[in-house]
Amino acid sequence: MNRLRMCALLLGALTFFTPAARAIDFDVSGFGTAGFALSDKSYHYQRFIDEDGTFNRDSIFGVQADLKFTSQFGATVQGKLAPSTASDRRWDATLSWAFVSWRPTDEWLVRAGKLRLPFMLNTENADVGATYDFARLPMEVYSIAPTTDVVGLSISKTWLGDKIDWTLEGYTGRTEGHWRYYGREIRDGGNSPGSWFLPITIKSSGLVLTARTIDDVFRIGMHEVEVARVGTKTGTDIIRDPVLGVYRFAPGGVDKLIIPVYNLGASVLLPYNIRVMSEYASIRVNSASEGLSRWGAYVALSRQFGEWTPYIYYARMKSTDAALEHWKRIDGNVLSGMLAVFNPSQKLLADIVMPMDQSTIALGTSWRVRPNSLLKAEWSHVRTGVASGLVDAPKGGNSGEQDLNVYSLSYSFTF
Amino acid sequence: MTSPLLPLGCLLLAGSALANEELVIVSSNGMPRIDWPTLQRLYTGRIVSVGQQPAVPFNLLPGDPIRKRFLENVIGQTEEQYTGYWLVRRYVGKGAPPQEFATVDEMLRQLAITPGAVAYLPVSRLPSGANVIFRSGGK
Repeated sequence: MNRLRMCALLLGALTFFTPAARAIDFDVSGFGTAGFALSDKSYHYQRFIDEDGTFNRDSIFGVQADLKFTSQFGATVQGKLAPSTASDRRWDATLSWAFVSWRPTDEWLVRAGKLRLPFMLNTENADVGATYDFARLPMEVYSIAPTTDVVGLSISKTWLGDKIDWTLEGYTGRTEGHWRYYGREIRDGGNSPGSWFLPITIKSSGLVLTARTIDDVFRIGMHEVEVARVGTKTGTDIIRDPVLGVYRFAPGGVDKLIIPVYNLGASVLLPYNIRVMSEYASIRVNSASEGLSRWGAYVALSRQFGEWTPYIYYARMKSTDAALEHWKRIDGNVLSGMLAVFNPSQKLLADIVMPMDQSTIALGTSWRVRPNSLLKAEWSHVRTGVASGLVDAPKGGNSGEQDLNVYSLSYSFTF
Repeated sequence: MTSPLLPLGCLLLAGSALANEELVIVSSNGMPRIDWPTLQRLYTGRIVSVGQQPAVPFNLLPGDPIRKRFLENVIGQTEEQYTGYWLVRRYVGKGAPPQEFATVDEMLRQLAITPGAVAYLPVSRLPSGANVIFRSGGK
């Protein structure tokens, strides 16, 4: 939060002290999505979606100010009101962006402050639903980045070509965040099912190469993320006590986890105005939550017919086989007799592994109501494999072998 | 998508009151003549200078027939494509679209007092002594 205040102060100071204050271009815009999603299951999917329906999963409102001090210096501030990333019960007002930018030449761009990272093709504009046709970006891929925002520095160099512009962007920064867990029997710090949010500090650095033509985008990126628990070590493994047969955290731990993330994506306009989009990402997390080590990918086809853009996509993500097997062993460790008292803790440990094994097929359409607004409708069918951390498993059950249908309707706008 | 090679020879159009009038691109100062790719990059925010000088593109408001002609026949994009392009560009933190004006007169007034400003207008509205940096054929 202190960093956010610093960013706000920095922007305020720049605005105030710029000599040619009267020449500053000040451009304010707003954006939002009112989105309703409903499933055919009583348990929550993606934190909020259940058979009662919710506005919490997809709704978001924000304001952005773009300031141009000179042709070389500018600043951008974006604030948003959205469901909290630290609680399932409230909405938070946060700053997504608060950076100053310096463009010394057409080819170089330096940005400092709070930045949205260039992970997937739509990560930077993910909050602005009017900029893409999907009712919801495929979470099998878009949930992989450990953080999308940092306070830091980004430097990019662009090579302008006749048909293709190449941009190489390097960034580094830090932020504070939370990892969400859900315990289906008990949770960390409570004897009832529910979610909890582990406070973490994150340092992320990366290098991303993007090629753009007037119609197509290609991107490849490699990132290294350091994650540390606030004020304590992080557990690295869950082991089975050879005497009691009970799973527990291994002693010790590490100060920080080093997490590599790789991503690859393309959005290409084919003949007959058909667009194909595909992205792949992978991450390796050597911790007790080894299920977070996974790959995710999707392929999507869309075609614009006037104001309508129907689309279909198939997405898949899967934890490593070792993580899924580990989850199965812990989840299946049902104790009897006096040791039965440990059964809820075995489910809790299985939940902490965070296995990710699911696929989604989605069929939807967007309708461009005005140049800056989209109405979207989508049906998606989700099938989980061994288990999925995106499903809040019901008490007494688990998130594996589930089939659910999700119906989404949203209106996204900018002004 | 309109082919990027089409615009150079297609600035004479039919369909509106200004249909047969040539569009010219003017700048407020001693900016050198530019070619079509440079003009396209300028109006899409990919460059912010021309010949080492800061350049500030001006636009008319969406719906203006002169803007429509300019976008479709010079930039090579429909209004929808151009608006959509800037919508994404703004929200990936790469800046705001060019400043917009309600009329050519308003745009010309601002052009006169903004160093590096670049604007398009029908040739009949060309002020005397204006610095024309691009016109039909790009020569």
